Amino acid sequence: MINPLPLMNLPKLSSEQLQAAQAPLNRKIFLQGEPGSGKTTAGLARLAFLLESGIPAEQILILLPQRTLAKPYYDYLTQNPLPPGSLPTIVTLGGLSQRTIQLFWPAISAEAGFARPHQPPLFLTLETAQYYMSKVVEPFLNQGYFEQLVIDRNRLYSQLLDNLNKAALIGFAHTTLGERLKQAWNGQPQHLILFDQAQDCMNAFREYCMANNLLDFSLQIELFIHYLWRSFLVRNYLHTHFHHLIYDNIEEDAPAAHDVIGEWLPVFDSALLIYDQQGGYRVFLGADPQSAASLADFCDEIVEFPPNLICPPTVRQFQSALVKAVQRQLTHEELTPPIKTAFSHLPARFYPEMVDQVCKTIDELVHQKQVAPSEIAVLAPFMSDSLRFSLMSRLEEYQIPARSHRPSRSLYDEPAVRTLITLAKLAHPHWEMPPSREEIRSMLVHCIEDLDLVRADLLMQMGFTAKKQSFPLRPFEEIGEDGRERITYSAGLRYSRLREWLLNYIEQGEEEELDVFFAFLFGEVLSQPGYGFHDHLDDAAVTARVIESIKKFRQVIEPVRSQQPGFSVGMEYLNMVGQGVISALYLPPSEEEDAVLISPAYSFIINNRSVRFQFWLDCGNYGWWERLFQPLTHPYVLSRNWQPGRLWTDADEYETNQQSLIRIIRGLTYRCREHIFLCTSRINERGAEERGALLLAFQGLLRRLHQQGGES
Amino acid sequence: MKLPPDFSFSQNNLQDFLECPRRFELRYLLRQPWPAIQSQPVVEHEQHLRRGEIFHQMVQQHQIGLPVDKIGAQAYDQTLLGWWEDYLGSMPQPLPEHRLVEHTLQSAHSGYRFIAKFDLIAIQPGEKMIIVDWKTSRRKPPRAILSQRIQTRLYPFLLWKCSGAFDQAISYSPEQIEMIYWFTADPLSPERFKYSQKQAERDGEYLLELVQQVEHHTQTYFPLTSQEQRCSLCVYRSLCNRGITAGNIDDEIDEEVDDDRLDIAFDQIGETEF
Ligand code: SF4
Repeated sequence: MINPLPLMNLPKLSSEQLQAAQAPLNRKIFLQGEPGSGKTTAGLARLAFLLESGIPAEQILILLPQRTLAKPYYDYLTQNPLPPGSLPTIVTLGGLSQRTIQLFWPAISAEAGFARPHQPPLFLTLETAQYYMSKVVEPFLNQGYFEQLVIDRNRLYSQLLDNLNKAALIGFAHTTLGERLKQAWNGQPQHLILFDQAQDCMNAFREYCMANNLLDFSLQIELFIHYLWRSFLVRNYLHTHFHHLIYDNIEEDAPAAHDVIGEWLPVFDSALLIYDQQGGYRVFLGADPQSAASLADFCDEIVEFPPNLICPPTVRQFQSALVKAVQRQLTHEELTPPIKTAFSHLPARFYPEMVDQVCKTIDELVHQKQVAPSEIAVLAPFMSDSLRFSLMSRLEEYQIPARSHRPSRSLYDEPAVRTLITLAKLAHPHWEMPPSREEIRSMLVHCIEDLDLVRADLLMQMGFTAKKQSFPLRPFEEIGEDGRERITYSAGLRYSRLREWLLNYIEQGEEEELDVFFAFLFGEVLSQPGYGFHDHLDDAAVTARVIESIKKFRQVIEPVRSQQPGFSVGMEYLNMVGQGVISALYLPPSEEEDAVLISPAYSFIINNRSVRFQFWLDCGNYGWWERLFQPLTHPYVLSRNWQPGRLWTDADEYETNQQSLIRIIRGLTYRCREHIFLCTSRINERGAEERGALLLAFQGLLRRLHQQGGES
Repeated sequence: MKLPPDFSFSQNNLQDFLECPRRFELRYLLRQPWPAIQSQPVVEHEQHLRRGEIFHQMVQQHQIGLPVDKIGAQAYDQTLLGWWEDYLGSMPQPLPEHRLVEHTLQSAHSGYRFIAKFDLIAIQPGEKMIIVDWKTSRRKPPRAILSQRIQTRLYPFLLWKCSGAFDQAISYSPEQIEMIYWFTADPLSPERFKYSQKQAERDGEYLLELVQQVEHHTQTYFPLTSQEQRCSLCVYRSLCNRGITAGNIDDEIDEEVDDDRLDIAFDQIGETEF
């Protein structure tokens, strides 16, 4: 196998990969194969080949279902020399929609029915969409909607938004959502009214968006599909712009994207569509492998890659035996002795014992067998904060670096952000949100260098006005000399400067936008020498995030602000944070790469990286099998593959759970290069005994092996 | 501190390097966020930038053929409307028909990658290539200052280096390239810079010299600027112990931020989180 493409800095390619990469420039190929069979590498090689063949880079469109899957393409383009010229476009359907809406807005806004077609659109993020949904739903809640439903408000809003997104991605009218869900409902009849209520809320939300140019994800997709994609001008623009397509992980994309590509394919000069035969993990986000597979009909050629290059035969055998065990079809023939080298069982009675065992085993791997920490993944259906914490701290004791693949974390858990909020409350007494003494004390410790808890406590005792005055910080000079000495004059000086700054702000009498207030406070006080943020670069980074989040919120809040004179965006923002509507999630700074990965199983699969060793935690957990309880939405009913009018039965539920467990087993094992540790705990994290389907299947497998051992 | 292997030099980061090596290090190598106020008054400045953004978008819409009346209806205030009318009345004319709008180009030069995003490139195949950059800053900078800006040196140079990408059969000489700055602040007096072989050679050497200086600082350290007045318009002033309050926007030469996107030019995936 040689690699004749000088542009590429890729591993040696197989003949199949080369063939796909070097297909003629007018050929459309549907490439399918197992996970790990080298399909994306073939995609990269195709990209290199196109560039090397002199195709202008701006004519190449690389389409992916989600941002994280773009990484290999992004890395390739940034890390390799490219011919002089432009760059390929890497985009998702959502990204393409947003860009074309922005560009062609004046051409479609009136026709699409927006009440203010001349004003620019306001693109909503997940958070700001959730905010507006909460505003729209509030009057309905006051009328008694959803009274019988015990559900966290924010989950209610997100399920309503989720329904709208599904309607857009699957391609049916959002006004039919409630009816579809009702027709399939097989439970208590009194639940049916909830679907009508959900429908009312979704209709009202869409109307509100149309009246105020607000574009949530669902409306962006609908605008693209129904207006932009149908417009001659836009099609012409896209058709003349892009001539070559690489569309990877099509099985994780939604039917709306497949429809567009199905219509667009005849116009492309060449295309490489990459389909993972075992995929479809993003079903909760509308992924539809069946509609993806139908794109093969529009291609000139179907190429199938030989089996996985990553997963060794023993792990493959284990995969197949475990899947059979889930299906209760496991026979002795499935089990040959080498299968035992593919996995180990780590049984424990209690949860902490299981965590200990996992960490101890990892220690042996890393310190005795010299396995790189990055070659190990610890996986669970859900990763609770406490589980993540205990794993991380135990591994730290063993001096093993670990990183947790949690999608995001809330800014409001950060001490720096809590400090900022306390300061905002102090500076805006008219909000009537006075901070507590404890909040002020923590803020002072965080803000003022060299002020420890004891001194801050002293400052609080002596400097805090006990009476309910609007500004609770007393001047330092009013503290007795003894107290001032103990606090130290340098800390006192900084305290005084901060106090004065706040008082000046209050006296000025005009409320700044909250993000601007924070930026001033940060620059003029908190990050100055002698203050807590000066040397803490991480605090600066989180402050930047929070400022950005508020700014984004402020930029789309105009429809509400314009209705309420004197409306304070800052106060509204903090209220929404308090209610959890805005969680300001962010990706923590990237952690060390050579570290053990701690991740929910689905995230690990979607990120498509393989490791040598996997630990499957708490195999008895029902979460490996069951889907999340979502009373107002349904990933399988809201799908093209569901026949409207059918009832969703227990048999359907059982079957889909079985299928999703099988998919997880395959997804994980295909990404394992050596060995799997199945970890079980008799008593789970919440102190109960759980015997979920994964555990039962595994026990079935062990029993068979044991019987076989006995027989031989 | 090493230069990352995927680092791309742009007019923004090189201009920053020229003004203050430490700022270059903090912003582009360490990627250190420092959310202080850059210049005052803040909200007016933000509105000005927003207007600039919308104006660029309107021009882009015009260049791709959207109806003029529909585009103009987006001008939400008098200033923006004025800019738009000035653009319609006095945009540089005539421009060749083949247009590339908001177009990114990149090329390696002596092993370093350079990148730029062009507002407009108008091409008459085999004849000429014209770069147009729409400037929405409050004042038009003097020509002498403009000619020294990295943008004036990098853009034509990069376009010349990439000219083969438009049509492999045609080669262009630097003399066929011209760069035009058009100002909302002075729409009737655009600044034109004709390019030449000699200038291209000088620019090639100059850019290489600059990146070699960057390389040198990565081996040693990135000094703080000696021109302390610059610090009042730099967000890092508290980190560098160079002052407390932000300076006035009127002291800024170039108030546009659109090129900041260059440094994430590869990350073209704008998607709503889902
Ligand atoms: S504050 Fe001054 S010295 Fe520091 S980075 Fe900015 S310009 Fe350079």
